[in-house]
Amino acid sequence: GGGGGGDVTILRVSLNQTETHPSYIALDNYSDRLEERSDGRLRLDIFPNETLGAQAEVMQLVSDGIIDMAIISGSQLENLDLDFRVLGLPGLFDSVDHQMPVVHDPEIVGDLYTSLEDSNGLTVLGGLTQGSRHIYLKEDIDGLADLRGKKIRVQESELNLAMIRALGGSPTPMAFGEVYTALQSGVLDGAENNEVSYYTQKHYEVAPYFTNSNHLVGLDYMVVSTENLNALTPEDRALVEEEWENTWKDHTQLWEEATQEAITETKAGGATYIEIDQDEVREALEPLADEFLTTPEQRELYDKIRAAAGEQER
Amino acid sequence: MDPIAIAALVLVATIAAGILLSVPIAVSIGLGSFFAAIVLLDFEKAALVSSQRLFTGINSFTLLAIPFFVLAGVLMNTGGIAGRLIDAAKVLVGRTPASLANTNVVANAMFGAVSGAAVAAAAAIGTVMTPRMEQEGYQKPWSAAVNVASAPAGMLIPPSNTFIVYALVSGSSISALFIAGVIPGLIWAAACIFVVLLTYRRYSSPQAAQPVTFRQALWVIWRAVPSLLMIVVVVGGIVGGYFTATESSAIAVVYCLVLGFVYRTIKVSDLPRCLLDAARTTAIIMLLVGVSTALSFVMSFSHIPEAVSDLLLGISESPNVILFMMVVILLLVGTFMDPTPAILIFTPIFLPIVTAFEMDPVHFGTMIVYALSVGVITPPVGNVLFVGARVAGLGIEPVVARLVWFLLALIVGLLLVVYVGPLSLWLPDQFGLLSE
Amino acid sequence: MEPIKKGLDGVLRGASVALFALLVVVVVWQVFTRQVLNSPSAWTEELARYTFVWVGLFATALVFSERGHIAVDFVVTKFSAPVQKAVAVVVQLSIILFAGAVLIYGGIRASRGAWGQSLSALPTQVGVMYLVMPITGVLIAFYAVYHLLAVLRGVEAAIEVDDNPQVV
Ligand code: NA
Ligand code: NA
Repeated sequence: GGGGGGDVTILRVSLNQTETHPSYIALDNYSDRLEERSDGRLRLDIFPNETLGAQAEVMQLVSDGIIDMAIISGSQLENLDLDFRVLGLPGLFDSVDHQMPVVHDPEIVGDLYTSLEDSNGLTVLGGLTQGSRHIYLKEDIDGLADLRGKKIRVQESELNLAMIRALGGSPTPMAFGEVYTALQSGVLDGAENNEVSYYTQKHYEVAPYFTNSNHLVGLDYMVVSTENLNALTPEDRALVEEEWENTWKDHTQLWEEATQEAITETKAGGATYIEIDQDEVREALEPLADEFLTTPEQRELYDKIRAAAGEQER
Repeated sequence: MDPIAIAALVLVATIAAGILLSVPIAVSIGLGSFFAAIVLLDFEKAALVSSQRLFTGINSFTLLAIPFFVLAGVLMNTGGIAGRLIDAAKVLVGRTPASLANTNVVANAMFGAVSGAAVAAAAAIGTVMTPRMEQEGYQKPWSAAVNVASAPAGMLIPPSNTFIVYALVSGSSISALFIAGVIPGLIWAAACIFVVLLTYRRYSSPQAAQPVTFRQALWVIWRAVPSLLMIVVVVGGIVGGYFTATESSAIAVVYCLVLGFVYRTIKVSDLPRCLLDAARTTAIIMLLVGVSTALSFVMSFSHIPEAVSDLLLGISESPNVILFMMVVILLLVGTFMDPTPAILIFTPIFLPIVTAFEMDPVHFGTMIVYALSVGVITPPVGNVLFVGARVAGLGIEPVVARLVWFLLALIVGLLLVVYVGPLSLWLPDQFGLLSE
Repeated sequence: MEPIKKGLDGVLRGASVALFALLVVVVVWQVFTRQVLNSPSAWTEELARYTFVWVGLFATALVFSERGHIAVDFVVTKFSAPVQKAVAVVVQLSIILFAGAVLIYGGIRASRGAWGQSLSALPTQVGVMYLVMPITGVLIAFYAVYHLLAVLRGVEAAIEVDDNPQVV
């Protein structure tokens, strides 16, 4: 893998976010640390804004070793192996603080992360949080009951559609770029996302009521070409893995800061943060686990992760 | 030599040699990207990435608007709307000096509003107008020049396939681009009328304008309205947020079908031919989009846009100067290349530069489409020029000689569009279509 | 070769028209389910996109059959007849190389790589959808060989004048 001249190894990383996004900043810091610790022998070449392609294709390019690494959303990995769906189930994680240690715990996800190596040439290095997602609306609501029949934009997938239905809403798949106009014109009554996107996409201007539904904690994966990872020297490989741990911790911190900034800015821009009963949301989402977990292994993984949430509460 | 530099050299050399040797432009771009990818990767990976990018480049819901707008245009044309639009245009320009010439310009703009096809406009409107103008004492080469100069206005006035292609590569909203194109499209038409008014005395003998009664005027407008309503459906649907550009293009097809059946201008037995015509045009655009997606991968992979950016910024740091250099490059490229491939090649290179100095991608879109549209009426490669001259029964030289003033005025219009942002951005902003 | 070409042309025309008609129906249905039935369908967009790729690539092959892809020939028209003929050979060989390496070889390779990658809403795999590339690649290569031989035998002009030029 890599390229460039001399003994320098450059790992190409594809990212679907812009240069100001916490994911980019964390990867940029990752590259700096790798370069420093390897005395300039190893660094990343980060391609933001999907310049190397959208996630589905990039995933294939990584598996063929054309690109070394990529940040990929969970739904893409689900298309390769349904077991990844477990980590994308609504209601699974209580919070980012529950999520991040779990998705880097080899006891829990070790087998899952190496499961694509033989079949697809992909190794999952870990995950970056995409934050807690919440429903936001054009009109104020008192509780979950008021969501009934409201048209809520979701990313197109069976699970997402089922999730909004379980909450009583009417799911409407739509491309992300069209959501603002659709909210403004009333084609949509609401959408669901994290605070950061709510702010950067200016959706608070047209849907000012932001709930605390916390129905899903989003996750992106860092996938690496197995072939190119194995081609690294043992020292370089150790550096990549060690510094990844610092990277996701760095990113979690950056994400928290971005979330706080987004809340402050959207409030200043007229958004109202409204409280609904989170237990009611969790209860409504519980049947999804029965519906979407299809094997005993998936159920086991799910239970392990839920148990970890319990540990944290104690 | 650095593999990246070799790849860049292979890329440019293959594409340039291919185009000059009349290899289809899409194949030239496809092979150039493939060869450059071999330098950067290996044969197998290069083939894999080229084919995968080609496929995913066209696997786009956005792009899907193109076959539908093309089909709507074919259906409209089959329905023979040129005559109605000309009659309506004639009433609109009324008794202005050189009213027939202005009628030609306005009819072309209207044709553009129901079909983005500039060649179809030049052919359909020119076939009727150029002989009629000759009868009334206009010199034929000048009449053909009026028709040729004004036909591309429809590439800016929505619906517009070139904007769809630009939306695809730039990631900006088609809706915003469609609305943004309205004023630049009118500027294009206005530039043509301006030159008509300035020069008509030299090329026509005085003729009396035909008075039109109010009743006649109502009648011809009434006959043209159903066709022109298509733009209301498309633009209104998008602005109102009722449907996306792709959906509106499908609605436009249904609308044209209903119109054709009601007017009995389209028979069911015409449909396979219409579908095939539209599929052909679409295929040409699609293959270009596909191979250009492979091209942009190779360019990004080897950081070519950054290198060009450094080069341009090395010449000047002033946004105005850089924009001017881009305009000159685009006008030159447009002389021998169609707008679609040129948009596909140059957007990934130029857009990051202009967004760095905070130009709105929608504004850059009107700029690049306008600049490249100028090329469709210039030699050596300019199909609107070729078709406009042919329907007038002329060679291209006499028409080109009469086009000079039009070209100058169109370029002045271009500079207005480039340097006066609100001309492009005010309308979409009014409708809340500029998200950032 | 002539009857094979005619047959293939007919099949491609039929497939293009049928798939294009399907495409119109699918997208109109999408608008209908969202605007009128108020319950958007989850599979229409994906079906529309893949139908579009298939119809587009079939029509692309058809345009190669007609030598209709836009090319810049103002330089070549200034060459002498034998040079024009040589250039025409280079053009068709370029098309064969493109079809062979990118569409056939690359397409098969890409298809194998994505064989297990499910689509989001339709019950098939990305790899199956990729098969359209090797299929059209073979057709395009066939047409290029046909034109190459025709130009060499002198039954086709070295430079094709487009009777129906367009701006794309
Ligand atoms: Na138009
Ligand atoms: Na030109």
